[in-house]
Amino acid sequence: MNNPPDISQALDDNDGPLDPRQAAALLEQATQHARRTFRPPSPQLWAFRAVFVLVAFGGFWLSVRGRQNPYSGPSGWSLLVTFALVAVNIAWTTAELRRAGAGVSGPAQRKRNAFIGVMLVVWVVAYAATAPLYHAGPSQPAWALYPASAPLMVIGLAGAAIAAALHYWRLTVITAALGLVAVVAGFGGPVGVWLIMGIGLCAVSLGAAAFAAWQRHQKVIAP
Amino acid sequence: MTDEELDPLIHVPTRLRIVATLAALPDGDALSFTRLQDMIGLTPGNLIIHLRKLEEAGYVASEKTRNGTAPKTTVTLTGHGRSALRRYTQALRGLLGGLDSNGSDIGADGDHIGL
Repeated sequence: MNNPPDISQALDDNDGPLDPRQAAALLEQATQHARRTFRPPSPQLWAFRAVFVLVAFGGFWLSVRGRQNPYSGPSGWSLLVTFALVAVNIAWTTAELRRAGAGVSGPAQRKRNAFIGVMLVVWVVAYAATAPLYHAGPSQPAWALYPASAPLMVIGLAGAAIAAALHYWRLTVITAALGLVAVVAGFGGPVGVWLIMGIGLCAVSLGAAAFAAWQRHQKVIAP
Repeated sequence: MTDEELDPLIHVPTRLRIVATLAALPDGDALSFTRLQDMIGLTPGNLIIHLRKLEEAGYVASEKTRNGTAPKTTVTLTGHGRSALRRYTQALRGLLGGLDSNGSDIGADGDHIGL
């Protein structure tokens, strides 16, 4: 990381006027610190998500590949690993959200909380729909494809529509890409769908990580 | 361009850090006094002195509320304060010879919701 030197401590003792170069360094430092604090998710969290989706969907693909006739879905061990990674993702995301929102109030904060609430409902509904589908005894292709791509297709496209309506442009792009990956993955068939989902979502997460890192380190006073 | 074109109210280390920190929040959002104090690393007395100067210039607005028995103070950067910081940043770029450079805006776009 290429952070400006920490000059705040030296300046605190003598809070007089600044040399323009010191002022520029201090402005960069304060701005980058505030961006790191107030703008989740961090690039590290996005990078973790990239690994998470690759391991989870890759594990599903490995467990259904060539061995299942008739198709019975991902194995127990791959589901266990996924649930563990989901738990880590939720804990990490919650911690970053709490840190970013501590002491912050106002219209943008309320809008953000409303969006998060709506998206949580969409997540639950999209995945809960797999239970009645299973109960109805679907055909093999439907049961193989639905849990793999349909929930994320719904989440991605609904998320993109809501984010666009709220002018969250970065999120609009990310959620639309997520929905698009899910649509494309459906064409991979009962086995290939998992691999396409893993690679596609990993690429989306890495792109988001790179963008978050670039945004955080964007200079206020360009060199 | 000379140093004199830099807004003297902002051109002080502590106030520059206060204004830059508040500018990273989306427009209209407020930060609690205690969180701001924690982020800037000042004593309450020092922070109050600097905030008062910024408030007198209309750069920040503070609001006191009561949450149960404990009073709570929140601080917001006003539109006037955002404009002043933008002018200050441009003046700094000019002084450092990067007037036409493509430095980023400090203000948040509100598009960081954590998902």
